[in-house]
Amino acid sequence: MQTTEERQRHPWLAKLHIDGPLFLGLIALCCVSLFVIYSAGGQDLGLVQRQVIRMGISFGVLFIVAQIAPDTFRTYAVPVYIVGVLMLVAVMFFGVSGKGAQRWLDIGVTRIQPSEIMKLAVPIMLAWYCARNPVPIRFLHVLGGLLLVLAPTLLIARQPDLGTSVLVASSGIFALFLAGMSWRLVFTGAITLGASLPVFWFFLLREYQRQRVLTFLNPESDPLGAGYHIIQSKIAIGSGGFDGKGWLQGTQSQLEFLPERHTDFIFSVFSEEFGFVGVVALLALYGFVIFRGMLLSIRAQSNFQRILGGSVTLTFFIYVLVNIGMVSGVLPVVGVPLPLISYGGTSMVTMMAGFGIIMGIATHRRLAISQST
Amino acid sequence: MAVKRNEKILRPEPLPGRFMFLLVCICLGFVSLVARAAYIQVIEPDRLRYEGDLRSIRVAQDRVQRGNITDRNGVELAVSVPVHTIWADPKVVHDRGGYEDTRRWQAMADVLNTTPEQLLSKVENPERRFVYLERMITPAVANYIRDLRIPGVGLKEESRRFYPGGEITAHVVGITNIDAEGLDGVESVYNELLTGTPGQRRYRKDGQGRLIEELEITASEQPQNLTLSIDQRIQSVAYRELAKAVRYHQASSGSVVVVDVQTGEVLAMVNNPSYNPNNRTGVQAHQMRNRAITDSFEPGSTVKPLVILGALASGSVTADSVLNTSPGWMRVGGRRVQDARNYGELDLSGVLAHSSNVGTSQLALDLELEDFLDLYSMAGFGSDTGINMLGESMGMFQHRNRWSDFEVAALSYGYGISVTTLQLAQMYAILGNGGNRQPLSILKLEEPHQGRQVFSREISRQVLELMEAVTGEDATGSRARVSGYRVAGKTGTTRKAVAGGYGDEYVGLFAGVLPASRPRVAIAVMINEPAGDSYHGGTVAAPVFSAIAEETMRILNVAPDNLNGRELRVAGFGGAQ
Repeated sequence: MQTTEERQRHPWLAKLHIDGPLFLGLIALCCVSLFVIYSAGGQDLGLVQRQVIRMGISFGVLFIVAQIAPDTFRTYAVPVYIVGVLMLVAVMFFGVSGKGAQRWLDIGVTRIQPSEIMKLAVPIMLAWYCARNPVPIRFLHVLGGLLLVLAPTLLIARQPDLGTSVLVASSGIFALFLAGMSWRLVFTGAITLGASLPVFWFFLLREYQRQRVLTFLNPESDPLGAGYHIIQSKIAIGSGGFDGKGWLQGTQSQLEFLPERHTDFIFSVFSEEFGFVGVVALLALYGFVIFRGMLLSIRAQSNFQRILGGSVTLTFFIYVLVNIGMVSGVLPVVGVPLPLISYGGTSMVTMMAGFGIIMGIATHRRLAISQST
Repeated sequence: MAVKRNEKILRPEPLPGRFMFLLVCICLGFVSLVARAAYIQVIEPDRLRYEGDLRSIRVAQDRVQRGNITDRNGVELAVSVPVHTIWADPKVVHDRGGYEDTRRWQAMADVLNTTPEQLLSKVENPERRFVYLERMITPAVANYIRDLRIPGVGLKEESRRFYPGGEITAHVVGITNIDAEGLDGVESVYNELLTGTPGQRRYRKDGQGRLIEELEITASEQPQNLTLSIDQRIQSVAYRELAKAVRYHQASSGSVVVVDVQTGEVLAMVNNPSYNPNNRTGVQAHQMRNRAITDSFEPGSTVKPLVILGALASGSVTADSVLNTSPGWMRVGGRRVQDARNYGELDLSGVLAHSSNVGTSQLALDLELEDFLDLYSMAGFGSDTGINMLGESMGMFQHRNRWSDFEVAALSYGYGISVTTLQLAQMYAILGNGGNRQPLSILKLEEPHQGRQVFSREISRQVLELMEAVTGEDATGSRARVSGYRVAGKTGTTRKAVAGGYGDEYVGLFAGVLPASRPRVAIAVMINEPAGDSYHGGTVAAPVFSAIAEETMRILNVAPDNLNGRELRVAGFGGAQ
C-alpha cells in the first residue's frame, strides 16, 4: 500500500499526524498569499506581518485538530451543532452589527462569529447524521438532512451573509450527496430549483435585488454603480494579459481602482501581476490541494470520516470556484474570500481546522485499523 | 439477496462513484475557470487594457498666455489679460448643501448682474458635473465670489483678449473667440504662432486622483508676440480721416491703405464702417469685413500712369510728346471713348492731369497687346499681394488672348478689370519704388525682401514727374496737395457695375506717392458709393489723401521737398542766438 510506504518514508510526519503533500500545498498557497498581499496592500510590511501571525495561528489550529482522532468529532457533532444554531439565533437578537450586517456575538472577552463555527459544525453534523444510517441514504433521511442544513443556512442568510450561507449550504448538500442521495432526488431537486427561479424572480425578489442580478448579467449597464467592482476587476485581470505585468507592477490594482483588493478581490491583483500563466499555476496548486484532500477522504476508514473529509474538501473547492467566478464576472458578487490567499484571519482558521480534520482522518486511520485488528 | 445487500452496506468503501463524479465536476470547474481567465487575459485583454488606460491615464496641458500683437513701434494692439471664469459642480452643490445659504447666491447674483433663480437653474441637475456660471469676470469680482465660499462653486483662470486699438485696428488684428482661438485677421492667420504649443503631460492617476507615473512630457513652445508693420499713429489718422469723409459724403464704405514704398510694409490699413472688437454685441457681418483686401472695384483712371509708363517704355512717345485729343471723343470698334470735355492738344502730363480717356486710349492702342497686358500683370493686378491675410481677393483680371480694340481702350482707363484697395496701393508703391515690386507685408520686416524689378527705374521716375501735374493748380487732383511736399498721384472715378451694365453709384479714388522726389509712402484711398452731391475721386478721395499724407510725413519725419523758395525754419533748440 502506498500509504504504508509513505508512513515508512516519513514516520515522524505520521506521528505528528501531518500529511506531507497536503501540508506542502497549503504552505505554498500561504507563500503566494504573502507576496500578493504585500503587493495589494500597497507594500505595507505591517500587513504582511499580521497575516504571517494569522497563518501561524491557523497552522497551530491545524496541528492541534489533526491530533484529535476523527471519531471524537462524532461524539460532539450533535451538541456543537445545537450550540451553533442557538448562537445563530442569539446573533439574530443580540448580535453586534458591523458593515451593515449582524454577524458577531459579543461574549465579553471577545467577539465570535457563530457562522464560522457552522462551516465545520454543519459538515460534522451531516456526516454524523448520514453515517448513522446505512448508505445509500433513504429519502426520508435526506429530507431530515436538508432540514438540518436549511436551518443554519437561512439564519446566516438573514444576517445577511450570503457568501457564508452558500458555503454552509453546499457543505451540507455535499455530505448528503456523498452519502448516496439517490440520483432521482438530485435531478428532481435541480429541476425544482430551476423551475422555481421564475417564481423567485417575479414574486420573492425585491426590485433592488432584481437590479443586482441584472447588473451581474450585464455589468456595463451600470458602470458607475453596482457594475463598478466587476468591471474594474475584469479590467485588472485582463490587463495582466498572458504573462502579467510583474510583481508590484500592476496598475489597475495598485492604483486603488479595485475595491477590497487585498481581501475578496485579491485574485484580480494576482492575475494582473502574474498573467494567465500565473493563474494557471495558482489553479493547479489549488487543484493539487483539493485532489489530495479528496484522495485522503476516499481512503478514509469509515463512512463518517469519508463524508466529513469529502464535504470539507468540496467546501474548499466551492470557496475557490465562487471567489474566482465572482471576480472574473461569471458569478454574482457574494462576499467569499479566496481561500488562504485573501487577507483576513477568521475564515483561514476555520479552513485550517478543516484541513486538520482531513489530516487527522488520514493519519489516525492506521492506528484505528491496528487497534481494531 | 438480503445477505448480498448486507455485505454491500458493510463494505468499507461505499460509493466511490460519488467521489469520482465529484472529481469530474471539480475538473470541469477548474477547466471553466481557466477558460474564463484565458478569455479575459488572452483573447480580450486589449479592450480591457484600453478601458484601464481610460480610467487611469490623464493628459494635462500647461496654460500658455496668448502672445501680444503690437504695431511696429511696440504699441499694443491686442493683449491678453487674466480673467476668471466661475464654474459649478452641481453634484457637489447638491451633496454639500450648497443651496442652503441663499444669501450667498443672492450676493453672487448681484455682482454678476443676474438673479439667484437664474444661477440656481443652471445647477439644478445633480447628474451634471460641470457648468459655467459666468465666463470672463474681472479679478475683483472673482475675489468676491471666492470669499463667498459656496460649496461646489469654483473659479478657473482664463485670459481675455483686449484690443486697445478698438475699431481702428479691428480689421487688421481680427478677433479671437472665447476660447482664445483666432477667428479673423492676424489673430487667425498667425494663430499658432500666437498660441504656441501648450506643453503636455501624460500621466497615470490612481483611484484617489494621485499621480502615479508620468508617461510622457512634451515641452511647451512659448507663444510669440507679433509685431505688425502697422504704425498705429498713421493708422489712427487714416481711420479718423476716412471715417470723417465716409460720414460727410454719406458713402456706404471706404478703405485706405498706406504702404512703405521701399519695404512693402503696410503702415496703415483701415476700413469704414468698422466695429469695436472689445464689445461685439450687435456687430453685423458687413462691419467686420476688411474691405481693403476683400472688396474689389474697377480702378478707373488710377491705372492711367501705367499706360503712360508702357508708352514711354515702348518708345512710341517721349516725355515731351504731345497728343491730339480733339474733339474730346473718339470712336473705337464702333463705340465711343469720351473725355469730360475737348482738351485739344495735351502733353503726357496733361493727359494725366485732365485724365483724358482719349489720350490713354490712343497710347494703349499703339502698344503691342502683349506688352500692354503685361503692364497690368506686372503691377500686381490679378495676383495676390503677398500680404498673407485672411480673405484676400485677387481682384479680376482676365488672361485671354483676344481683346477687342474697345476693350483695350477701356482697360487703359481702368474698366474691365477690378482691383482691391491694397492692390492699388501696391501699384503705386511699385511706381514709387522705381519699378521695383516688393511683396506687401503686414508684419514688420527685419530686412526688406528682395524685390523684383518689373518696370524700368528711369521710366518710373519720369512717370512720377508727369503724375505731379495731377496735383497742379486746376488739375483733377488739386485737393490732394500736401503743403511742403510734392505729390505724385492720380484720381479715379468709376461707375459701379451692376447687372447688365453700369449703375448710378460711383467709386471715388485717389492714389499717390510722396514726396515725389524721393517717395516714402504710397497711399490709396477708396470711397465707395458717395451719396452726396460730389462723387469725383478728386473731391471725395483726394482730400482724405491730403490729410493722411500730411500727417504721415510729419509722423515719419520726412524732409519736405517742395518749399517754393520758402526757407525751412527749424525750431531752435538750446536757446536763441
